[in-house]
Amino acid sequence: MLRFFYVLLYINLFTIGGGYAMLPLLQREIVEHYHWLTNKEFIDSIAVGQITPGPLTIMNAFIGYKVFGLCGSVVAMIASYLPSIIIVTIVSHYYLGFKNSWIVRSSFKAIMPAVIGLLASVSITLARTSVVDIPACAIAAASFVLITFTRTDPTFVILGAGIAGALLY
Amino acid sequence: MNKDRTSIKAIDIFWIFLKIGSVAFGGVYSMLTFFRRELVDKRRWLTDEEFAEGVAIGQMTPGAPVVNTGIFIGYRLRRLRGVLATTIGQVLPSFIAILIIAYFYIQYRDVKLIQSILKGVAASVVGLIASVVYSMGKKLLKDYKGILFAASSFVCLAIFKINPIALILLAGIIGLIVYRKGS
Repeated sequence: MLRFFYVLLYINLFTIGGGYAMLPLLQREIVEHYHWLTNKEFIDSIAVGQITPGPLTIMNAFIGYKVFGLCGSVVAMIASYLPSIIIVTIVSHYYLGFKNSWIVRSSFKAIMPAVIGLLASVSITLARTSVVDIPACAIAAASFVLITFTRTDPTFVILGAGIAGALLY
Repeated sequence: MNKDRTSIKAIDIFWIFLKIGSVAFGGVYSMLTFFRRELVDKRRWLTDEEFAEGVAIGQMTPGAPVVNTGIFIGYRLRRLRGVLATTIGQVLPSFIAILIIAYFYIQYRDVKLIQSILKGVAASVVGLIASVVYSMGKKLLKDYKGILFAASSFVCLAIFKINPIALILLAGIIGLIVYRKGS
């Protein structure tokens, strides 16, 4: 469990560019390296993180619970938010210098596109697990269109997909 | 503005963030709307500029942007007590929700109906992530350099399986060199 704490701690330290940026790192460590979850369980935890209120990082608590029980979920929460608390507190204190510093701005300019590439790669990995037949293709395509072009809340899309799954399978 | 803030109680901050944390479904962006309404419009604890700073800082620091924005606001209002009040308040409702879901998930995941539901949900998650990739890409990939960064990190992870943390670090370092003159 200490290793779990440590893994989440450094993943969150490198989650730059939004909650989704965490997914490539999580998939790599939690699924491929330590085998704490299967790809399928990993996808389930993303869904759960998305339908609950609040940030996606809350899915770490789900993973913690799944792997180590209640203690695991508490450990996951501490590991997920401790780096933020420390770094943002420091940054808030000196915030003007931080936001305008060229080091931060120019590295961000490169990290954001890189995150997009990483995320694209993860969506393909996950598609291999979950988009395996025609109904699944249809649901994935419909979700993509709804969220991208109609501004439907992802929570409703996922709930709708659950109902579609119950009917189609 | 700062003079008024000593009268703001950490417990009040906590309740507001607890409320925001419980109703803000759909993740990050709906939460920011709630923040603005409660803290800038209704209570005038923050100015519009401070709020915008908080959103920018949230996106430029590691972790969940909306939590980071909350931490920034907490620090502005009541320093460390504020930080604890906003973080715990914001995260607690979803933490409890997730424990309940996790409990039922482990109990009932083998039931046939639940498996069918999860199959649909899993397909939808892929569509959701693809949508994030598409929207972020449309917004951020505007020149050939950006496209090159995205394409090469994609290839490095998808084909060569290079550690994503190393890739993020590397992108940051290359960015320092490439974008230095532009800033």
